[in-house]
Amino acid sequence: MRLLIPRQTIRKVLIACAVSAGLLASAAPASSAPLARTGWLRLAHLSPNTPAVDVYLYSFGNPRAQVVLHHVSYGTVSPYLPAPAGTYTVAMRAAGAAASSAPVLSTAVHVKVGHAYTVAGMGPKAGLRLVVLDDQLTAPSGHSMVRVIQASMREHQVTVRSKTHLFGRNLIFATATPFESLPRGSYLVHADGSTEAASDQVALRSGTIHTLVVLDNSGHLKLVDLTDAVGAKTLPTVAPATGFGGTAAGAAGPSLLPWAAVISAGLLLAAIGLASLRRNRRQQAGVYTGSPPLADTAE
Amino acid sequence: MIALLAGLLVLVAGTAGITTAAWHDDHAQDVFGRVPHVTAPRGPIAAVPGPARQAKVPRPVFLIIPAIGVRTRLVKLGITASGAMAVPTTTKVAGWYTKSPRPGAIGPAVIAGHVDSYHAEGVFFRLRRLRPGDQAYVVRSNGTLAVFRITLVRLYRKSRFPFQAVYGPVPYPALRLITCGGTFDYTTRSYLSNVVAFGEELTGKSVTRR
Repeated sequence: MRLLIPRQTIRKVLIACAVSAGLLASAAPASSAPLARTGWLRLAHLSPNTPAVDVYLYSFGNPRAQVVLHHVSYGTVSPYLPAPAGTYTVAMRAAGAAASSAPVLSTAVHVKVGHAYTVAGMGPKAGLRLVVLDDQLTAPSGHSMVRVIQASMREHQVTVRSKTHLFGRNLIFATATPFESLPRGSYLVHADGSTEAASDQVALRSGTIHTLVVLDNSGHLKLVDLTDAVGAKTLPTVAPATGFGGTAAGAAGPSLLPWAAVISAGLLLAAIGLASLRRNRRQQAGVYTGSPPLADTAE
Repeated sequence: MIALLAGLLVLVAGTAGITTAAWHDDHAQDVFGRVPHVTAPRGPIAAVPGPARQAKVPRPVFLIIPAIGVRTRLVKLGITASGAMAVPTTTKVAGWYTKSPRPGAIGPAVIAGHVDSYHAEGVFFRLRRLRPGDQAYVVRSNGTLAVFRITLVRLYRKSRFPFQAVYGPVPYPALRLITCGGTFDYTTRSYLSNVVAFGEELTGKSVTRR
């Protein structure tokens, strides 16, 4: 049979009726679901005397690696990999070692939605460990967030400073400072050990998050500026006005709710009417059984 | 008896009303009309940047979204004195917010366009028809492409616009497409909501060619 009314329309009517039968619908839920549906992980090799490694990322309980980074050498930091919330295992094997071989090192990482983590192999080869660092994803207005990872083994203690700011004094090998906020600007950053030094011009734009890494390099220190995350330089405070309404009337469409209310009222009224009708009938019926009309018996 | 009859009458009227309204609503969806045919551009796909010192990313010049028939040059958008992102002066083009990262650099590249003019469709008329998985292509000044996969399309009341989620820091190259939507307030002559499409950059091998 061909329907004259589109099926979609019928479905909408049925849904609206169901809503009205349920009478008062609950208020529409606010749009508060989290926007990010994953967290982020990046993997780093920051142990100066450890040869290149293969880094494996496993979702906990799944023996098949989700990601394998081959031949990761000292000073390498991967881009962030999106990772749904959950527990992961990061394992390091010597470069080229079979995936089935026992890892040199492994650690568990708990990833939360909307959070970022750096998992770094740190320390000397003899005491190599995987460190999970919580990364920052917000910066106050007009500011940049910065932290320092000291990954130089030749200089056991390094002081990192600019003319106006001390990032860290006597930072010990294989440690990281917490993030701190700095006014945006360009900073000439010096990293000084007891004999070796390095310096770098670092542009800290507002809304950016940086990790400065002090590395051993041939004969001198090396200062690397990693961009962890970037936001807009200026956050607008007013939502953009991007329409003039020329297509609005059609786009909005008439609401179904008032009609649902009318149907509810109708149902209610009909129910009341039916109830009172029944009551009346029952009362009248009572009269008949009590004293049957004489005319009937006379026949 | 009268109440029953009146109730049934109201019920019939309500059902008739809701059917007409629903019919009308169905028809309203047709205003999107035929999506103009736009093909995906060809060109070298840019590599997704790593965390090391950021190479200068070329300027965005064109935006192409085959799924909703968008093909537009990109103008530059600054910020107004009142603290709003500027919007394109015509409804036929979209613009890139110059205070946000360039498309393909780490961070949220923000592109805004009008949903309509006083009497016609605007460049982002069909933005709310975008679906997760659709691809958006940004052509840069050197001819390379930054390709984004749409992950989420949402409608926000302007009073609850998620500034941090749209403009705030993210650790990967992202895209934000913004236009207006929802109810139009004829007294203030503005829409009460914004449509925002969120996207993330794809590496060359994960781009689907159609």
